[in-house]
Amino acid sequence: MLMIRHAIGSRLLFQTDIFEINEKNDKWEISIPVNKKDVQEVLKLKEELNLFEVTEQEKAWYYSSNAQIELNDEGTELLISADHKTVYPLS
Amino acid sequence: MIQIIPAASRYSAKNDWLESHFSFSFGEYYDETNLNFGPLRVLNDDTIQPGKGFGLHPHREMEIVSIVLKGTLKHEDSLKNSGLLQYGSIQRMSAGTGILHSEVNPSPDEEASLLQLWFFPVKSKLTPSYEDITYDQDKLKNHLLPVVSNTPSSQVAKIHSDVTIYLSKLDEGKELIFSQEKGRKIYVMAIEGELNINVDHVLTPRDTARITDTEKLTMTAKHDSFFMLIDLPGGE
Repeated sequence: MLMIRHAIGSRLLFQTDIFEINEKNDKWEISIPVNKKDVQEVLKLKEELNLFEVTEQEKAWYYSSNAQIELNDEGTELLISADHKTVYPLS
Repeated sequence: MIQIIPAASRYSAKNDWLESHFSFSFGEYYDETNLNFGPLRVLNDDTIQPGKGFGLHPHREMEIVSIVLKGTLKHEDSLKNSGLLQYGSIQRMSAGTGILHSEVNPSPDEEASLLQLWFFPVKSKLTPSYEDITYDQDKLKNHLLPVVSNTPSSQVAKIHSDVTIYLSKLDEGKELIFSQEKGRKIYVMAIEGELNINVDHVLTPRDTARITDTEKLTMTAKHDSFFMLIDLPGGE
């Protein structure tokens, strides 16, 4: 599961089980199929987002320090370039 | 200009282990017109039930100050810091590029109450850091005691933001004057008691004042008072 939360108080903005994460040159390219209308708040708050990839054992926390978060031209895919990842156990 | 925000107008959230009152947008409470006052982005007034708390969670790009008013708060973080905070101590955590921490009330039977403040840092991508300090409670009496500042000194937590946080306990009938450079802002919260500011404005417990264009602030205790004053830069 992938969750996108506001960094100020952890409000859940978007959640999905369908996503791809590819590591390349110390960055993580995250792509998520979306409906444009469902990610308006995510795009509005793109400077203040935390992403969490949650499995049964652990959480991985990602963020993009330069807010590299955008929709593709068709408005069907959210593309995020994260430059930070920390893995920690579920508490 | 002095804008009084009554305590009762704050957004409140309560569950079985936490009661919170938010002075600014936070979590499920999001109001575009109430995001910050200068670099002050969060002021949460939290009460945590015994044995409960915030599990491991991340922060970034914020200067986070915790002021314990009652009980005990146990802090642990990914920098291997741990500590017990009580009334009389202040925690400052610079989240910078990222830190994980937990905050729990370790007591089996006593609630913990704290004020938690988040400030925008003066610059981004700081190295995460943490400190806690203990201030001399006797020095609160009828005096504005700096407890957090961007200018380091003994018994003052060093913050990477252009702010100074003062605490004070003012006896009934006593007066304090705070003078400030032109163009800066002042934020006041009455923690306990009743406080008059510049004669006409009254603060009762947990009321706050957002103050601009005021170079001299006179605070008079109508009753014994405990309050926090924050000196902030001007601008948005």
